[in-house]
Amino acid sequence: MPGFRGFGGGRPGGPGKPFGEEEFNLEQMEKETEEMLKMRFLDKKNAEFKATGGGFVSLKVGDEEYSRIQVVRMFPFTDPDHYISIRTSDENSKEIGIIKDLKDVPKETAELLVSQMNLRYFTPIITKIINIKDEYGYAYFDVVTDRGQCRFTINMGGSAVVHLSETRILISDVDENRFEIPDVMKLTPGERKKLDLFL
Amino acid sequence: MKKELFPKAVLKLLKENGIEEEDIFAASATDMNTNCLYADGFVVLTLKSLAIVMSAPDEKEIRSFKGYMSKDGQTGYENKDWSLKIYDLEKTEHLKAEPQVACSLLTADVDGVTYRLTAFSNLYKREMHKFVRTFDKISMELKASDRIEDKDKGNLSEKPELAEGQDNGKGTKNEPAETKEERLQKLKVYGKDEDDKDEYCPTCGMMYPDKSRKVCPRCMDRRSIFMRVLGYFKPYKMKIAGLFLCYILTAGLNLVWPYLNGTILYDKILAKNEDFLKQFGIEDGQFITALLMVVLTMLMARITIIVIGMIQGVFAAKIVTSVVRDMKKSIFGNMGKLSISFFRSRQTGSLMTRVMSDADRITGFFIDGLPNIFISGLTILVSLGFMFSIKWQMTLMVLVVIPFIMLIGLKLRPRIWTQFGHRHRAERAVNSQVNDNLTGARVVKAFGQEKRETTRFEKNNSRLREAEMSIVGTQNLVRGSYSGIFEILNISVWLIGVYLIMVTHEIELGIMITFVGYIGQLQGPINFFSRVFHWWSDSMNSAQRMFEIIDSVPEIREAENPIELENPMGKIELKNVSFGYEVNRPVLKELDLEIKAGSMLGIVGRSGAGKTTLVNLISRMYDPQEGEILIDGKNIKDLSFKSLRRNVAMVSQETYIFMGTVEENIAYANPAASHADVIRAAKLASAHEFIMRMPDGYDTRIGSSGRELSGGEKQRISIARAILSNPKILILDEATASVDTETERDIQRSISYLIKGRTTISIAHRLSTLKDADYLVVIDNGKITERGTHKELEELKGTYYKLMELQRKALALKGIE
Repeated sequence: MPGFRGFGGGRPGGPGKPFGEEEFNLEQMEKETEEMLKMRFLDKKNAEFKATGGGFVSLKVGDEEYSRIQVVRMFPFTDPDHYISIRTSDENSKEIGIIKDLKDVPKETAELLVSQMNLRYFTPIITKIINIKDEYGYAYFDVVTDRGQCRFTINMGGSAVVHLSETRILISDVDENRFEIPDVMKLTPGERKKLDLFL
Repeated sequence: MKKELFPKAVLKLLKENGIEEEDIFAASATDMNTNCLYADGFVVLTLKSLAIVMSAPDEKEIRSFKGYMSKDGQTGYENKDWSLKIYDLEKTEHLKAEPQVACSLLTADVDGVTYRLTAFSNLYKREMHKFVRTFDKISMELKASDRIEDKDKGNLSEKPELAEGQDNGKGTKNEPAETKEERLQKLKVYGKDEDDKDEYCPTCGMMYPDKSRKVCPRCMDRRSIFMRVLGYFKPYKMKIAGLFLCYILTAGLNLVWPYLNGTILYDKILAKNEDFLKQFGIEDGQFITALLMVVLTMLMARITIIVIGMIQGVFAAKIVTSVVRDMKKSIFGNMGKLSISFFRSRQTGSLMTRVMSDADRITGFFIDGLPNIFISGLTILVSLGFMFSIKWQMTLMVLVVIPFIMLIGLKLRPRIWTQFGHRHRAERAVNSQVNDNLTGARVVKAFGQEKRETTRFEKNNSRLREAEMSIVGTQNLVRGSYSGIFEILNISVWLIGVYLIMVTHEIELGIMITFVGYIGQLQGPINFFSRVFHWWSDSMNSAQRMFEIIDSVPEIREAENPIELENPMGKIELKNVSFGYEVNRPVLKELDLEIKAGSMLGIVGRSGAGKTTLVNLISRMYDPQEGEILIDGKNIKDLSFKSLRRNVAMVSQETYIFMGTVEENIAYANPAASHADVIRAAKLASAHEFIMRMPDGYDTRIGSSGRELSGGEKQRISIARAILSNPKILILDEATASVDTETERDIQRSISYLIKGRTTISIAHRLSTLKDADYLVVIDNGKITERGTHKELEELKGTYYKLMELQRKALALKGIE
């Protein structure tokens, strides 16, 4: 992937005369810029992902080795299977590379990565609404999710209910635990009525 | 976590595996296993091991989160199938609560491999964070004291990692040495009860959804809100009594009306009833006189009703405006008191709606709605009484109809509730967008997106329209059905009446007219009762939103007996300060720093490193989660707000210009300042020249409604503002970031003058700004990575040196040296 040229100015070879003692190296700056803009795509040819004993994933790409990596979606809601950023696991995590499409890696690897992302994007899916009670600035939810029945509370004043699309809803409780309704239309009319306040 | 909540079954399991309860130093509950499946669990820390107890995941179990979580915790612990994993503490390092998108993973390195120990939802974030902190402290203490004991078994008084001369405040050489055991015991948190008793509602035992607002939405009923709103009317008792008198008089006169208009006019006068005249001492046959008198009485009655209505209007206006003013005042007043964190978490648009419209809605109900409940109720009762006395058979018909009317109200009421909610949300969306677009007008224009914004607005606006329409629709439905029922009632009463007059001759026409008149009187009050429920709930919802703000307890509170800081020296100390805007993501980590009185400290670091957060803590916009900040040896939490604000002034990267003149803006902190003082401050801040170039000089109106200033001009005004407040401690947070190099040089000069005799903390990206600093620190990732003077840091050849080099090169590129 070629970087964008021209950030350092059009003249190749750098400015003719040095400023002061330190010569400013335009070529090096261009190289750095290019480095910064570079997107490295990972696929089955250049990257080798492996499950670690501790429940994480390691990566070998070229002669770089990472004992643990982070798997992060660039578009977690709109495009979960494409543009997946593979990052170092430290606090100032940096991008190692990008998987453009989960199909670019072997199936087992894709599954491994998805299992990592399932931890990261843990969000119970609401399948049934038992009750929603609206009381003084809070709404008390009693719902059934794919992970079992959950009871949680949301703040009505803030932006606890986010419409990801016309029919897809993301709900965050007062602690910012997330719950999702992938398609409101799949709920029964009675359930939708309970949810009416947020639609 | 609370000791009492620890299930016996778990304690038993731990005991069987060699962990006694008194060995436990810290513990936390968790609610997910390593695969993020809901399950119950506990993590337990002793001096020897880290134990994880988990139950098998059970999807049939109900998970309770905040708001539902009861004081007694999850139940059914005793019958669960617990599994236990014990990690040797000596082999376990780097215990971390790693935040994920909406949950966290607890990880640790065991024998060099990172393991997922367990996962937990955000419900346990705080508790787990504390657990991890205790783990850190204990393992550090264990290692540190090991090292000391290895090296020098006699001397335990000082920790080895502390450099000479640096006092960490924990102990000095003269104090008797604490043993390792004592120091470790101090770190024990298990069983030492924390402040979490405040987190639960005393009535229902459920965790408050919001700790800073100790109100349990479940236990707060509409009645108590109602009583609180009534409190706002208390100061206007006399006026309210007057208002009530007006209401009662009007109602009374209205009740007499059908009688005058029907029975007296038709049956007594027009029917030429001689006895009736005698009662009033009018001579026989003088029916014209009598008619005139009745008409006059009727006229008087009408006029009186109108006059009373006017008086009533005056009273109501006086009360409404006063109460609305009082409410807005208390909302606004409390909003000012709230800490910065409150404003971080709520949309400004929704706050504005609250202040502006909620008070009106509430008061509207209390003035127009509430008294009418009594008056209308009374009217209905009295009317029915009269009607009964006239013809009970006909009255029964009316009584049959009333339940139907009530039923319609009950049926449609919930629908209207939801619709009001919709409207409120739609209103908020519109307000927010208007707000958004006004602030971002330049960006919208620059990218030519007016059309898209209009479309977006149109969408929100139509949503509001639809919400409004559906409310009107339902209301029409209600009104229509009422009118329909009343029409049917009227017609049937007439039919019966005509029958009674013409066929059976039981009643006369006048009585009939009186009767129908009373039915007419009923219509208004009954209609009112159908509306009043919605009205009541709407206004109670508004009241609840209002009290939500009024009840919010500011996170930063003044100490009960605050210390006044008189003529401070300006020495600042930070001891072991940790802080994060969210529990799991520390921004500052165990910071130790001492700033000598009268010196200038320069802070350098990448953006997001925690520089601004650090100065925000010193000016007490936020309180540190751990550690303390001292000014002249006094904890800033004990200082009065007044003396803290007077002695600490900040010029920040976010400049704010209030509506008003230049002079008012500069004298914001010190309105009593003389012209000379203001000019001096402006000159010092290099602001005088540009102010004088403005047509109205220091009287030029600036701020949102006045003349627009450039970024650099705003910054200079705020520097002048800080100068005028004459603080002992001056904080400059990127104060010269948006001024040109020349102006910066001017401001630099004034700053070097300004910092004399003050403690100054200056944050800057441009290192040239910090050339006067006596001492510099480099902050990276919430920690101080380098500290020393200019020269020392340059010799260190670390981050500071690198930054210096980079900036020198950048300047070289521009041709500036």
